[in-house]
Amino acid sequence: MPPRRGPGGRRLLAALLAVGLLASVLPWWLDTPPGSLRTTAATLTAAGRITGLIAGYLLLVQVLMMSRLPVLERWAGGERIARWHRDVGATLLVAVLAHASLILVGYADLEDNPVLTEAGVLLRDHEDMVSAFAAAGILVLVGLTSVRAIRTALPYELWHALHLSSYAVLLLGFAHQFSNGAQLFRPGPVRTGWIAMYALVLAALLWGRVVAPLAFNLRHRLRVADVVAESPDTISIYLTGERLERLELLGGQFFRWRFLARGCWWQSHPFSVSAAANGRWLRLTVKVVGAHTADLRDLEPGTRVWAEGPSGTFTAAHRTRERALLIAGGSGITPIRAMLEELPPGAALIYRARTPADVLLHRELDWLAEARDTAIWYVVGSRHDPGPRQVMSPDGLRRLVPDVARRDVYLCGPPGLVEQSLRVLREAGVPRRQIHLATFEL
Amino acid sequence: MRRALLAITGLAAGTTALVVLKGSPGTSPVAQELPVAPAPVVPAPAGPTPTGGEVSAAPSPTRTSASPRPGRTVTRAPSSGPSATTRAPSAPRTTRKPPPASTTRTVTGPVVENEYGNVQVQITLRGMRIVDVVALELPEETAQSDQRSEQVDGRYSGSSGLVVQRQSADVDTVSGATATSTSYKRSLQAAIDRAN
Repeated sequence: MPPRRGPGGRRLLAALLAVGLLASVLPWWLDTPPGSLRTTAATLTAAGRITGLIAGYLLLVQVLMMSRLPVLERWAGGERIARWHRDVGATLLVAVLAHASLILVGYADLEDNPVLTEAGVLLRDHEDMVSAFAAAGILVLVGLTSVRAIRTALPYELWHALHLSSYAVLLLGFAHQFSNGAQLFRPGPVRTGWIAMYALVLAALLWGRVVAPLAFNLRHRLRVADVVAESPDTISIYLTGERLERLELLGGQFFRWRFLARGCWWQSHPFSVSAAANGRWLRLTVKVVGAHTADLRDLEPGTRVWAEGPSGTFTAAHRTRERALLIAGGSGITPIRAMLEELPPGAALIYRARTPADVLLHRELDWLAEARDTAIWYVVGSRHDPGPRQVMSPDGLRRLVPDVARRDVYLCGPPGLVEQSLRVLREAGVPRRQIHLATFEL
Repeated sequence: MRRALLAITGLAAGTTALVVLKGSPGTSPVAQELPVAPAPVVPAPAGPTPTGGEVSAAPSPTRTSASPRPGRTVTRAPSSGPSATTRAPSAPRTTRKPPPASTTRTVTGPVVENEYGNVQVQITLRGMRIVDVVALELPEETAQSDQRSEQVDGRYSGSSGLVVQRQSADVDTVSGATATSTSYKRSLQAAIDRAN
């Protein structure tokens, strides 16, 4: 049984980030004498500076959260960090827009120019402002394409390419902070500290994205061993490698996989490992939904695989209670299947699937149920059928699992099922902190 | 999504709170209408009639530090007073004796306001000769105006600056920093007038 991993690390991380936010506004607070904001222009400019400092800090936080630094993954988990990244991203977008417009209006007021003229003045006379405006433009584009409704309408690859251009924001927005930032242009501890923050984030990025994956892949040298069809539209990919017995993998965690084959190598996708670590092989089970997953069917044995991970807090080690209820939908069974091996006996699994063909890994689930004293209910049918409707209700859940409120609940499946289950679970009296989500949906 | 909305609300509330907290306690509209301090009304003493004496009548902030602009962040301090009008230095008390050639005295010009901020110049004289010029205050509201101020300061101020070389306020305007140059020269001219 792996050791428990509590919420301590996550709370520490959140506290550190909050302290950093306060520290980033502190220079403004210390630089501004009380009562000095007498004019509208001064007030607007001050607000512009505060939002600017906050935006600068949040941008670094955003990049840090995407650095995949192993310690972040361990403390908060990839999925939670992805959610934070989304929320902070929305805030960053607003902060940047507020910063730009407040400074613009404030300066226009100060110099008695119309706003548009002032924009011209900023671009022409102030150093590094062209690149800063470009950075803001890219950030707005990235932000808008991340709005869920727009994002789902875009091909993943386009969205991803746009999102990668956020690094350009980091680069383009860098200079203007130091040439024009009232708190940053003077050499001194504040300027040095701000540059140090950039250096730290870049170091984290380098470590999490380059050094750590390089070390992992050089150590384990994963290769495709076999590709097996689990159902008409689902495949399992078996991987072998070196020193797998030293792989620190918890059931329910995922890797970001990059298959080094023609047409696949440039994409990296997160898939859960669908069996607990066994020291000999790894397996991921993938539903074929797009062009990339279709290509995975044709992987040749021996293909090199580049993996980044393991990530995720959707594991038995992160539970707060002894017993667990697992709710899986369709191919959402994969992390839960791996976790079953590491949960103590007495777990319960509700497996929702639309048709019998959507039930994956049926045989090994039954075998695990025997071996580990786990109750499994297969609930097959549309969500409007009487059977599923009955189970997915507070009373239905309590009938199946009378002590549901005293269990940790692990949810993995399509967004509709997750939403519905969350609602039902809360109604059935399960505290939110006992509910764990494995979702790559942002 | 809900958390993002909360965070955005927090951002707006936090920024507003910070600005309000730093805002003036008693916003008197008079404070911002600081007029250009009136040119000194010291009657130009006719010829050599004034008798010598210490003229360093220390008009408010007398900083005679060696560095051209003593601690620029510090010079802001007097401005945080309750009313900005207090910044205008009282007209120096000039005595009517011509200063002995060896005495060193400092004379402060008035605060001259322009759209970027305030300019105030202090000159040091030995006898009738200007030996040093120090800018007590220069606009530094934005990084850009700060840079301009630095240019103007670098050209004009100091014991070997343009003003000391020319011995007058009639110096070339620093290109790209017209407003600050002009304000500088006005404050300087007033200081020179006071000194004579």
